[in-house]
Amino acid sequence: MQTPLPSPVPVLRLPRGPEGLSRGFAPDGRRALLKPEVPGTPESPVVHECQESQEQRARALLRERYLRSLLAMVGRQVSFTLHEGVHVTAHFGATDVEVANFYVLQLQTPIGVQAEALLRCSDIIAYTFKL
Amino acid sequence: MAAVNEWTKRGPLEWQDYTYKEVRVTASEKDYKGWVLTTDPVSANIVLVNFLEDGSMSVTGIMGHAVQTVETVNEGDQGVREKLMHLFTSGNCQAHNLEDLEERKNSLKKWLEKNHIPVTEQGDSPRTLCVAGVLTIDPPYGPENCSSSNEIILSRVQDLIQGHLAASQ
Repeated sequence: MQTPLPSPVPVLRLPRGPEGLSRGFAPDGRRALLKPEVPGTPESPVVHECQESQEQRARALLRERYLRSLLAMVGRQVSFTLHEGVHVTAHFGATDVEVANFYVLQLQTPIGVQAEALLRCSDIIAYTFKL
Repeated sequence: MAAVNEWTKRGPLEWQDYTYKEVRVTASEKDYKGWVLTTDPVSANIVLVNFLEDGSMSVTGIMGHAVQTVETVNEGDQGVREKLMHLFTSGNCQAHNLEDLEERKNSLKKWLEKNHIPVTEQGDSPRTLCVAGVLTIDPPYGPENCSSSNEIILSRVQDLIQGHLAASQ
């Protein structure tokens, strides 16, 4: 390659986990709680597993689509419906993994424009944007 | 902790059941109607899509904690299902036919080889390009269709593809 290499793609490296090996993902961490073992059920373990893997597959599909919908929202103007009939608009930046907070830019509120803001999900009823 | 209500307590299989259906959702005394794109299993947020008269679409996310009732209005429509299935998936902006893709692939392959980058092909038609054994390029062969665990090569190849696409515009 004759031309000089451009600077590498910036990569966000997660910090190492407490045991010093992983990259921030707890090996036993599950967001979806495992159903408690029901003793004495006539169902074989295979059936139980089928149900669980079905659920997990559904969960993964649903989550992927949701994440993609969030990705499509980045940079767009979004209108948020808050409590008491309050509506605000802003440019969507990001949410956290639990979708508990919405990071937005240029938030237009009844009392002025905020360059950056964090909207709590508990304050939001719905959000909408146009494609 | 998010509020727990009837809706949030339903499992992923039930949420998935609503996908592609037209529903009416009541949330905090407000009504929302639309076609269900998905329900986030983490927050139980429902994403609805509405097709507007001017051809554009509006996407509405209703927070799981605010959902009061969800009522099915329309069990499903094949046309809508098709549209929703491909919404937001990568490379969905342009539909390419096989000949188009073949041309793009060959053109890109030539360009990469010209830049002294070893490239092979693999898989079924439309084939995936494989660069130096560490990076793959899926159809439609844009910078965003590259996959690699080597960020230096990834960056380099993405730039090359970008340049190639810009030059052929």
